[in-house]
Amino acid sequence: MTVEPSNLQPQDRLDVTSRRDLEQMFSGDYSSGRSLDRAAADMSLSEKRIGNESSQSDDGLGAMLGNLPEHAQLLSEIWEDDSYPFEALLGPDAQTTQQPEVRRRRSKPPSATTSSLTQPPALGWGVPSQQQQHQSWTQPVANFFSQPIPGVASASSQVHIPPLRSRKKTTSIFRSEVMSLVQLYIPSDVARYTVAQLGEMGLIQFRDLNQDVSAFQRSFVGDVRRFDEIERKLRYLQSKIVESDVDLYDFLDNDFISAARGPREIDEMEETVNAHEGRVLRLTAAYKEMQLTHVELVENKHVLEEVSSLFTEITGRQSTAPTAHGGTSGPLDSVPLLGRTDTMASRRSIGSMDAARGELAFDAEIGGMSVGHDINIGFITGVISRDRISTLERVLWRSLRGNMFLNYVDIEEPISDPRHEEPVYKSAFIVFAHGETLRDRATKIAESLGATLYNVDPSAERRQEELIDTMSRLDDLRQILENNRVARINELTSVSEQINTWFTVVRKEKAVYHALNLFNYDSNRNCLIAEGWCATNDIPAIQSALHVATEDAGSNVPTVLQELRTTKEPPTFVRTNRFTEGFQNIVDAYGVPKAGEVNPGLFTVITFPFLFALMFGDLGHGFLMTLCAALLCYYEKRLAWMAKDESLRMFYSGRYIVLLMGIFSMFTGFLYNDIFSRAMAPFASGWRWPTDAGGEGVVVEATKLGHTYPVGIDPAWHHASNSLLFTNSYKMKMSIVLGVIHMTLGICLQVPNALHFKKRINIIHVFVPQIIFLFSIFGYLVFVIILKWSTDWYARDAAGELTHISPPSLLNMLIYMFLRPGSVNESERMFSGQAFLQTLLLLTALVCVPWMLLVKPLILRNEHRKIVSEGYGRISSHVRVSTEADGMAGAVVLSEQEEMQADDFDFAEIMINQSIHTIEFCLNSISNTASYLRLWALSLAHAQLSEVLWSMIFQPTLKMSGVLQPVAIMFGFAVWFTLTFCILIGMEGLSAFLHALRLHWVEFNNKFYDGTGVKFEPFSFKAVLDEADEQ
Amino acid sequence: MGGASVFWFGVLVAGLCAGALFMFKGKEDPTLWRTCTILSLACCYLMWALTYLAQLHPIIVPKRDDLRIDI
Repeated sequence: MTVEPSNLQPQDRLDVTSRRDLEQMFSGDYSSGRSLDRAAADMSLSEKRIGNESSQSDDGLGAMLGNLPEHAQLLSEIWEDDSYPFEALLGPDAQTTQQPEVRRRRSKPPSATTSSLTQPPALGWGVPSQQQQHQSWTQPVANFFSQPIPGVASASSQVHIPPLRSRKKTTSIFRSEVMSLVQLYIPSDVARYTVAQLGEMGLIQFRDLNQDVSAFQRSFVGDVRRFDEIERKLRYLQSKIVESDVDLYDFLDNDFISAARGPREIDEMEETVNAHEGRVLRLTAAYKEMQLTHVELVENKHVLEEVSSLFTEITGRQSTAPTAHGGTSGPLDSVPLLGRTDTMASRRSIGSMDAARGELAFDAEIGGMSVGHDINIGFITGVISRDRISTLERVLWRSLRGNMFLNYVDIEEPISDPRHEEPVYKSAFIVFAHGETLRDRATKIAESLGATLYNVDPSAERRQEELIDTMSRLDDLRQILENNRVARINELTSVSEQINTWFTVVRKEKAVYHALNLFNYDSNRNCLIAEGWCATNDIPAIQSALHVATEDAGSNVPTVLQELRTTKEPPTFVRTNRFTEGFQNIVDAYGVPKAGEVNPGLFTVITFPFLFALMFGDLGHGFLMTLCAALLCYYEKRLAWMAKDESLRMFYSGRYIVLLMGIFSMFTGFLYNDIFSRAMAPFASGWRWPTDAGGEGVVVEATKLGHTYPVGIDPAWHHASNSLLFTNSYKMKMSIVLGVIHMTLGICLQVPNALHFKKRINIIHVFVPQIIFLFSIFGYLVFVIILKWSTDWYARDAAGELTHISPPSLLNMLIYMFLRPGSVNESERMFSGQAFLQTLLLLTALVCVPWMLLVKPLILRNEHRKIVSEGYGRISSHVRVSTEADGMAGAVVLSEQEEMQADDFDFAEIMINQSIHTIEFCLNSISNTASYLRLWALSLAHAQLSEVLWSMIFQPTLKMSGVLQPVAIMFGFAVWFTLTFCILIGMEGLSAFLHALRLHWVEFNNKFYDGTGVKFEPFSFKAVLDEADEQ
Repeated sequence: MGGASVFWFGVLVAGLCAGALFMFKGKEDPTLWRTCTILSLACCYLMWALTYLAQLHPIIVPKRDDLRIDI
């Protein structure tokens, strides 16, 4: 077989390089394995073409050759690169080279891979191969191969092998991941497997390519409905399982869930579910029906029993008290009643059947409705719920005008009727009435009141027979009911073993078809086109997933992945781990970072717990907090259920935040010298209390020793009466200093942002004036704070004179810096040249304001004018994103630029934005600095509250005397500890948390963070299943 | 120890931070480790230094009125 390259050219559109490769191949000029497999790939293209065009019988050959480059590339890479990690081969590709029979459904002799390396592939053309029967090539996929896509996916990378030199760079949460818009051409027979595989990995977020198609008109609606239906059946089965108290097995058939399921397995599952559902439905229906019969029989039995007693009573009354004509019910009650006195205790009768009373002398044995008798007295018997009996009685009495006789007996045990939820207490009654009409009327009334009527034979023997018959039927029915119940439970038990697996599978399948509904068909409907975002680093993983899916489907037509170039704003994917996740959530709650923007989450990891700890400084409280968080972190797998609980989720997902908060609180608590509001003295105090003076109410002053307390606050301050004076001044100043530093960090983070988005103008005309403004006012404040601390205000010179007049008030100084620039009160002067420096700083700050306000907009306007004057407009928007490949494949051009923002340069708008920004910054720098004073306030509140708790609740018990002291101490400790935990750690912790949150969201994020991104939400089964679990 | 110790500790911490820049090469997310280390060092140093400085030249003296005299 010979191939003329020139013949291929017009229709195959081989580009210049591949043609050159072809020619090289034919001339046998191979310099490296790379060009070899490239050539092989191109060869295979042309072969496919030929195969499709000339003879269909030949088409397997191309497929075989299609596999060659894959192996050739692998081997040649290994050949060239000694450092290639062989472990990498043990991924999805390992099986292709090492155990071909196991993994691949088509078998390939291992020698084929070697031969492809050692021999020119041209020789392989004639080699007959046994796998040819399995190959099927679809035209459109073959078409894709002939599309050389420059710089995106070369012919060899389309063959489903992850690039060997991984593109993976080290990533961090400093910025979001670099995202790629990828297009997948998925042969339709592989589509389900591919999407399932991608769902397992959860790396790609599909775009909806059918936005204008309503949900009901999409391609896979039928499948979605089908799985909806199965899910409904499963839910029915589950509800039955719960109803019958059958244990639900928490068992998942992992093979079935994770492995690629074929459509046949799904069909089998559907059949099984249907069969189970049908059986359970039938059993339940039968059960219900039989239960109704059962109720009837039970009631009938009761009626027979009770009625016989009623009959007996009446006949007995006749025999013992035949003279009771016209009497009241009195004599009736005195009748001895065949040992049924217990049930008859509640029996009552309306005894004024004056007319009928005499006629009651009918023969009770043969009386009744049907039996013709000289006196037409009939009766109806039935069962009615107990609370209705009086109504029945009254209604009958009124409507029959007293021509009736009603008697009833309460049935002792409640009757469980399936039509009612709870068992009902009922009574059996008998109504005697004279004449057909009255009886009919009584029947209607009784039925309308919800009574069930049963025919009873007046003859005692036949009643007895009936009773025996009913009893035996009841026994039979009970047996059947029991059998039914057992059968149902067996059925449900067998379902319960599998139902979780089925649920998972069905939910996954449904998610797959939902995803497929987002895809587009190509014109021949052979291929699905999907578009989605994924992290560029994940592309190799996605490619290997595509590869595995193709193998699972047993297909040889690979899915093609290509990257699209786009100017669309990608979704933001910050790759977090379980440690950084909580911190990132804090940031995301404010705003998701834009793609490429500096993510404050990275800094929040430390600054958040630190600012929290400044407000929560107590070694003891910090320790308890650390302990709790450490337990949560240590047992995090065992405690994973907490994530599903509404109220505990907060603590569980924030466990690492709490851990760091606790650790930092221990540190700040150590520096504040507070442990449960007590002081510690690990170092020698810098103060000495006098030993010769003092006593209750006598004020004594400590004297300063030569050294300063090295770490933290001197314990001497702890019980000093003026300790608040000192700690307030210290904590206030510290808050300002740390706040200014925190804000400076925020402003500085504009720089990496500007560098990333290539906006130099933002550095020079936004960042620089801002930082100068902040430093010239608040930087100076920080400077004088430090200076004041470092100066010995009571130092004396050699002559014994004070070198300084008095320590200045910094607040006054700052105020007068604005009010009276250029002059400093002599008594408050801190250093020479202070007045000049302050004036200079003030002027600098003033200069910065117009700089921030005007320069950037003016520069932008000049640039714009220059462009316009040179005759250039901005390149108009409509940029086509898709490559030519779409056209070739007959695909719709999917990725067109939807909209580019209007490019009209609007100076007024820019100016307005800039002035708002400037005013906001200037005012905020003042208010934000003041806002950091909350660090001081909260810390003060925390310290005072814990002091109060100690001195009010626990300390008094220590000072007690007497035998009760131990009890009081125990009790006091319990109360103190509980309150400490609930109020100080719980509520104070929460409030400090919220304040730290605010400091990050407002004071820090405002300085540099846009937070206008959209979160990356990949298609992932895990998310789908979690969502289903929550419902 | 005087005010100078604050400075020397500052130098030490700066050195540690510089060292942290090169420390976490092998870790999975070196940026995170680096940032956390540097920020923690900076935060802890700042707080210690400010606390120390605040007591270096005290303007007020601790007073007590409940002191017992040991006789």
